[in-house]
Amino acid sequence: MKLITAIIKPFKLDDVKTALTELGLGGITVTEARGFGRQRGHTEVYRGTEYNVDYVPKVCVEVLVDDDDALRFADAIVEAARTGQIGDGKVWITQVETVIRVRTGEMGSDAI
Amino acid sequence: MSRGKKLFALSLLTFVVLIVVGASYSGHHGDPTGAVTGTATDVIGAQGLSGDTVPVSQVGINALANETGHLHVAVNFSWLLMTGYLVLFMQVGFAFLVTGLTRAKNAGHMMMMNVAAFAIALVAYYAVGFAFHFGGVAPVSNLGGLGPLTGLFGHGNAGVIGTHGFFLQSGHGYDVGVMAMFLFQVVFMETAGYIIIGAIAERISFAGFILAELAMGAIIYPIYGNWLWGGGWMAHLGTSLHWAHGAVDFAGSGVVHATGGWAALALALVLGPRIGKFNKDGTPNAIPGHNIGYVVIGTMILLFGWMGFNPGSTFGATDLRISVVAVNTLLSACFGFIAAMAWTNAKYGKPDISMSCNGMLAGLVAITAPCAFVAPWAASVIGLIAGFLVCYSVWFFDHVAHVDDPCGAISVHGVNGAWGVLSLGIFADGTYGAGWNGVSGNVKGLLYGDAGQLAAQAAHVVVGFIWAFGVTYGIFKVAGRFMKIRVSAEAEIEGLDMPEFGALCYPDFQLVSSAVGHAPQGSPPRPTSAVAAGTDVGGRS
Repeated sequence: MKLITAIIKPFKLDDVKTALTELGLGGITVTEARGFGRQRGHTEVYRGTEYNVDYVPKVCVEVLVDDDDALRFADAIVEAARTGQIGDGKVWITQVETVIRVRTGEMGSDAI
Repeated sequence: MSRGKKLFALSLLTFVVLIVVGASYSGHHGDPTGAVTGTATDVIGAQGLSGDTVPVSQVGINALANETGHLHVAVNFSWLLMTGYLVLFMQVGFAFLVTGLTRAKNAGHMMMMNVAAFAIALVAYYAVGFAFHFGGVAPVSNLGGLGPLTGLFGHGNAGVIGTHGFFLQSGHGYDVGVMAMFLFQVVFMETAGYIIIGAIAERISFAGFILAELAMGAIIYPIYGNWLWGGGWMAHLGTSLHWAHGAVDFAGSGVVHATGGWAALALALVLGPRIGKFNKDGTPNAIPGHNIGYVVIGTMILLFGWMGFNPGSTFGATDLRISVVAVNTLLSACFGFIAAMAWTNAKYGKPDISMSCNGMLAGLVAITAPCAFVAPWAASVIGLIAGFLVCYSVWFFDHVAHVDDPCGAISVHGVNGAWGVLSLGIFADGTYGAGWNGVSGNVKGLLYGDAGQLAAQAAHVVVGFIWAFGVTYGIFKVAGRFMKIRVSAEAEIEGLDMPEFGALCYPDFQLVSSAVGHAPQGSPPRPTSAVAAGTDVGGRS
């Protein structure tokens, strides 16, 4: 099993959810997140003084999938979240040892 | 003595003082019921005649005239009280404004200061401030004369302080006219009292703040107010030095706003900047406010309240100039807003919401002195200049003077208060103000041929600055030796809500700033704590 983690622009969340649902998404976890990448945030002016917005608001999406589905799902996220502008975010895939469904105690693929 | 015992002793003492005041002035020679305020004399006076010209034998006519006089004063009382309530509501606007312009971690502290300012300064003004201010203001014909208020220390042109009306009772102050006057004037004093909050925000201790409000309500505002509005020497520069009508300030650009603004400057200097506001090389950092919505709501409420502040200052609806005053006030406010919006858009690429709102307030502050004396075109020009002036002034105090003024109180109220006072001396068009300050003829500015008026206005600006800044600075330099006027650095970084009051304004939220505390030039992002970011810890003198 794999864990797909995606950091995306908040307004792209609906597009990502729609795309994943079409692929038969089992479940999704969404967290509000803030951070920066290579641009180191951006600059604004407040009452005549410049300041950095260091930590740009993002959404963190986490999806658990079977090994075979991982790339398809990750690609779908990348396609749905892309605007072509800076700050589109990142997607990464990590190996997951096991998964347990809390209510039934099912393990592994059955729990996804 | 324990704190509980001290509090008990203090409460008991207050109680005793009030009883003694009540007992000392039990003989009422004022007019506590209002039955004899407003008579034929008021009608005859309004016609520009003297009592001798009306035959005493005409009893029926006199009775009718008495009724008319009573109505004349009643209309003016209604106007004065209603506009006073509008000015009172400005306190709500200011609470929203300054809380929105500061950080969420201090929101409870900001709100508490706004409400406490009202109660504490009101008590100080009730006890002594009103007497110092208006103890010798009589006669005020629109309000039935204000007979009891005839105590002025200093003869002729040299009045310096009022002496009737302590606790609203000394000198027969228990009188309907005096009470109406008090209600209207105390909310004006409150305005000067809450202006300072904008500049001392996020770092003053609550004890230091209470001292500031007591000083404002009892000394700083009332005594200067006496010089302009209570029959004092500044108003008599016309009769003493022959400078036109002497210092004229219709609703208080100088008396109220500049006084508050310059006191705010003194306090901001004594307290020093907030931690993280300035870097070691003196360059400023932006510390964005937490609720721009509050800033806009507050500004709109202040605009609404100003419809009482300026038109109410006629002391009566029988002076139909009130409509001119109201429209001039709106024009200046809107031109101020547009000027600030345009300036920030041109200079920084986007219109700045809080600066545009400050522009509206700057326009309101500036038109407060000249609103009754200028034409609509001049009111528009005054507002336009005020809007630019406030943007430049905020930039100046941040980037050049390095004075930390979180809400722009010094720029909005001090700088534009001074501009408003001067603008009267330039634009007053000679259509209003007959006999103002005991000088015959209407009030005229430089553009209409009277340079003397501008000289008197300049004196108002200079004396006002020296008084408000000097007295406030002196009081707090001395007080700083005996009490903690600034919170600890630890409390300042944590936020003042919990250390000062034990309750958070937003207990259900995690308060984290995303954009605070350091300059943008190429420096890598650092933790949001300004201290960790290596910025200068606010100097404390």
